[in-house]
Amino acid sequence: MQNTNVALRFVDLENKMSLDEYNFEHFRTKHLLSDAKATVEERGIKPGEMAPDFELPRVGGGSLRLSELRGKPVILHFGSFS
Amino acid sequence: MRRNWNDEVEFVDVVIRQAHPRPGVPTYHSFEQKMHDAESYKREDNIAWTVLVDDLPGMTHQVYGGLADPTYIIDQEGRVAFYSMWTHAPMLHTSLEMLRAQGWRGVVGGGVDKTPHVAAAITDGWKGLRRGLPQSLIDIETAAPTTGISTWLGFQLRPLTAPLTLRAKPLPASAKISLGVGAAALLFLGAKALTRDRSGYGSDRRRTKVRPRKVR
Repeated sequence: MQNTNVALRFVDLENKMSLDEYNFEHFRTKHLLSDAKATVEERGIKPGEMAPDFELPRVGGGSLRLSELRGKPVILHFGSFS
Repeated sequence: MRRNWNDEVEFVDVVIRQAHPRPGVPTYHSFEQKMHDAESYKREDNIAWTVLVDDLPGMTHQVYGGLADPTYIIDQEGRVAFYSMWTHAPMLHTSLEMLRAQGWRGVVGGGVDKTPHVAAAITDGWKGLRRGLPQSLIDIETAAPTTGISTWLGFQLRPLTAPLTLRAKPLPASAKISLGVGAAALLFLGAKALTRDRSGYGSDRRRTKVRPRKVR
């Protein structure tokens, strides 16, 4: 059974990137290929699985834990400023 | 999309790494930089819903697949109902309708959409890229030639194309048929024009035709 917490899942994550790899200085072809590979492999949380819980700081102050929203459907989007 | 679902669904955005690092802030070296950009993102894009900021190693983002622009629909029990790997609003709209019909529980629409919805990215991608100019454009043109220019062009054509490429709901069947007929007509006319040019006849022959003189 998969862990239902992001921090625990991260420890065992395959294809995990180091801090420098993740925060790259230049966008390169390898990043494009990595996204393509991740798409083909359907990397991420599988449908039907519990969404791993996390608590993150919120813009405007405070923080939010995903599990606090249980009882209502959630649209969870990941995006970059640039 | 939020306008259509605000009463029934919670919207959460998570700000991830810089997709296209820029001069001044080539990449995030501190959480404060990331929070600063997240505040700008919320303000500049008029985001009225919750914006969270992932940590510097992108732990949450990486666990959730690490893709550039994914969206999950999570059902009311906290399970993944649908995974749009390259966020596509019409697909999410349809999935939410299915989820509502199921009482907001379970997997919908096969669970995953892996299609990279390129048209939406070309229309809207410049918004992000222009924040990192000129480095973002140089980088993306180096990584995938013509992508940056296409995105710029797509943004210029946005007033024309956005109703199609950035729509929040799927196109009605009648609109799909009209578009299909229009595309077929354009293809037909294009093919006809090409055939005429290659035959060596047509307009040139008509122009050189000798008309008989009138006898007075």
